[in-house]
Amino acid sequence: MTAVTGSPEPDAAHPVNGLDEVVHQRVRLGILTISHEARRVEFGYLRDQLELTAGNLSKHLSVLEAAGLIDVEKGYEGRRGRTWITLTADGRTALADEIRRLKQLITRVETTDLPEDR
Amino acid sequence: MTTESVPAGGDARRLLAEARALAHRVRLDQRMTWTALLVLGVAIFAGIPFDWFGMKVHCLPDGSCQFARRGMLYYWPAALPLAYAAIAFCYMRAARARGLGARVLPYAITGAATAVVFPAAWFAVQLYLDGHPVPDQPLPYWGLVLDRLVMPWGMIGVALLVLAWLERRVALLVFTVGYLALVLLVLPTNFGLGPPHWGLRLQLALPQLLSGTVLILGAVGFRAADRRRR
Repeated sequence: MTAVTGSPEPDAAHPVNGLDEVVHQRVRLGILTISHEARRVEFGYLRDQLELTAGNLSKHLSVLEAAGLIDVEKGYEGRRGRTWITLTADGRTALADEIRRLKQLITRVETTDLPEDR
Repeated sequence: MTTESVPAGGDARRLLAEARALAHRVRLDQRMTWTALLVLGVAIFAGIPFDWFGMKVHCLPDGSCQFARRGMLYYWPAALPLAYAAIAFCYMRAARARGLGARVLPYAITGAATAVVFPAAWFAVQLYLDGHPVPDQPLPYWGLVLDRLVMPWGMIGVALLVLAWLERRVALLVFTVGYLALVLLVLPTNFGLGPPHWGLRLQLALPQLLSGTVLILGAVGFRAADRRRR
């Protein structure tokens, strides 16, 4: 069961209701953002920028890959193994939706008259 | 039972700020502005001998001279696509080494496409002159500026505007506006610079030397700025 709190009157139009659980997570949002900006990003770059362990990053990448939001391509450059991550079309849409909903949420919170303001 | 809080405005704001910071970091790591400026500056310097030796000058007894810059017609249509291909290669190689993709292709394609503008304008003028008498009045000022714009040095500036947009780099935008002001409004790239006794070839080479030097100095400046950041 999921209890939702923090809004005076949650309703269907509330931007929180449309947030995608896969994308609405700090690290995974970071992965999608970097992949979108970079067009194509290597595993090591993501690990360094997001300050994660390789195992932790791999888990997040698996979630995103299973959701069809990224493509993971493994290969070699010389003897060195390299893993490249690319955003899929669904990934681009999911990222754009998440950003839009976050902006809506900020606007909503700023314009809502909270009890402590009364 | 799981209890999850609806993200408050502060959380959403923090997530957005982090996403923006990450995107900005990627853009910084993809930048190779100095390479583009260096390659184009070198291309301008390399074009000077083609213009010098490929120019046909015919001086009349009254002291006036007619000239045709044929060397430019042979050099620039090949040099610009090659220069932009070299820039794209350098960008992609550097970005790959850093673990990133490159954003430079739209710039390289725009730049290479501008290579046709100069010969197209030259052929258009030739076609016009075939059916019309040579105007005895000098070109109006806007005509001179347009003439300088379609020349390779002007087109290089136009393509640099695209690079400034791709890299979201205000410093490059300011540099490019300054460069365009120089090659369009200050340097007489189409009729030469310097006292008459220098001769036409040197007068026409001088604006090229100056515009090439500006690009090379820009490359040095952007390289120093990037190194300081890293």
